[in-house]
Amino acid sequence: MKQTKPQKLRLGLFVIIGTIIFITAVYLIGQRQNMFNKTFTISSYFQNVNGLQRGNNVRYSGIDIGTVKDIVMINDSTIQVHMDIQEKIITHIKKNAIATIGSDGLVGNMIVNIVPGQGSAALISNGDIIASYSKIGADDILSTLSVGSENAAILTSDLLKITTAMLEGKGTVGLLLNDTIMAQDLKQSVNNLKMASKGATTTINELNDIISNLKTNDNTVLGMVLNDSISGQKLKNVVNNLETSSSEIEHVLTNINSVVEDLNSSEGAYNYIVKDTALVNSLRSTLNNINEGTDKFNQNMEALKHNFLFRGYFKRLERQAKKVEKEKEKETP
Amino acid sequence: MTDKNNIRSQLKSFLIEVGDISYFTKRFFTEVFKRPFEMKEFLRQCYNMGNRSLLLVGITGFIIGLVLTLQTRPTLMEFGAVSWMPSMVSISIVREVGPIITALVCAGRIGSGIGAELGSMRVTEQIDAMEVSGTNPFKYLVVTRVLAITLMLPLLVLFGDAIALMGSYLVENVKGNVSFMLYFNKVFDALEFGDIIPATIKSFFFGLAIGIVGCFKGFNCSKGTEGVGKAANTAVVLSSLLLFIIDFIAVFVTDIFYDL
Repeated sequence: MKQTKPQKLRLGLFVIIGTIIFITAVYLIGQRQNMFNKTFTISSYFQNVNGLQRGNNVRYSGIDIGTVKDIVMINDSTIQVHMDIQEKIITHIKKNAIATIGSDGLVGNMIVNIVPGQGSAALISNGDIIASYSKIGADDILSTLSVGSENAAILTSDLLKITTAMLEGKGTVGLLLNDTIMAQDLKQSVNNLKMASKGATTTINELNDIISNLKTNDNTVLGMVLNDSISGQKLKNVVNNLETSSSEIEHVLTNINSVVEDLNSSEGAYNYIVKDTALVNSLRSTLNNINEGTDKFNQNMEALKHNFLFRGYFKRLERQAKKVEKEKEKETP
Repeated sequence: MTDKNNIRSQLKSFLIEVGDISYFTKRFFTEVFKRPFEMKEFLRQCYNMGNRSLLLVGITGFIIGLVLTLQTRPTLMEFGAVSWMPSMVSISIVREVGPIITALVCAGRIGSGIGAELGSMRVTEQIDAMEVSGTNPFKYLVVTRVLAITLMLPLLVLFGDAIALMGSYLVENVKGNVSFMLYFNKVFDALEFGDIIPATIKSFFFGLAIGIVGCFKGFNCSKGTEGVGKAANTAVVLSSLLLFIIDFIAVFVTDIFYDL
């Protein structure tokens, strides 16, 4: 049977599509295993790799950046994990990055998580060894739980002892539970407290009444202040007036101050009189001169009285004075 | 005593058949590299076995992907692990379900076809006529068919896998609102070379087994129409059995190599 052209075409198409599917699948799988990417190798030391295998993913801040290349036992407590990391990520990982081993989800494959370190550091390069941090594994959690449950057992036994002692009436709490007299006293105390609180309530109510009376009664000063709008207005006016008066007083005081200042600072008579000591001395000497002059004038006058030219005049004056005295004596019985 | 003789004769005939098939296989490998190459017949067989089986393989694969996802979904939902569906389905389809289902479908369609075709040719003495006319019937009929199914089956498996994954994606998209990108990202995240390469190599052996058994049964068909039916029937049964044996060996070998 001869084969037709469409048959050949269909066969060719079938083979090509099948091959493309195979190549695509191989490429996609290979790409995920970093077979077609340029990679560099870094490593880290762990004490326990928790079932990590070759080919497990390596993540940096949650992004798949490579795979575990090899796991080598260095000594009885140290395991070196080599990781193939995509070269394009080299610009982001620093030398102080920390590798931890975790799992992808609760029941997922083990993965190596690389987390950025604190502070600044140089970029990582091929063959570098980064620090590692061992997370708490399931075994550690179980051992912690075991310790916790042991503690809980001890705690429960202690609690049992305490409750037994309490029931037997030992200790303060046991006494509280078992002593009937103390219970009676406590009851009495509670009653007293109840009464005291009742009294306090009454007092508070009375105080409330007083305050409300003060607030509502217009005849009291506080009521008037709080409720009477006219009085309030008057008070306001008074305060305004006081304010005005105080400002005027202040103005006057300012003026007085300026006058005093002028008096003190100017070159007027007052300042001259108050402050010039030479003038005082000169006045004092002038007064002394006047006193001396007056004494001398009195002496001159006394001399004049005894002078014959003026003696008659002074005698006449004496006689007139005696005459006025006599008339005054006559008038007064 | 009769039973013992019966068992002995059956064992003897079984061993003879195994020996015959081995010689037949040896002859195939000897003839395949010898000239002349029957290229036209080979391409015709490729078309018949590859293209014409595609629809059947596609439908089977699609339904398998669909059903596998639907059946697994409730169990995974109980564990809150539905997001693992693409990984689980892809690994099971690529590693095992895809190759074996495709091979079984091809064993039914192609193995029986080869057995019946060659058997009828033997019965109607067409093969003898070819020998008389100077044409090598083994080269023309057997080598072309075995080679065609050996090369076409891996391609059919790849098509079957792809269509089964599409069926699985359809269910995930409808029931879980999973996007195409996310589904196939998870599929290829889960797959490794250890899944796809052994499965592809295994498919070549599946194809070889179907072709050899079908051709052997047809080529050595006994006289009469009954013999043709028997040849077709035993070709399917024996090739199906061989498929599982090869599958077991393949898984065993893969396990040894990938656990090293």
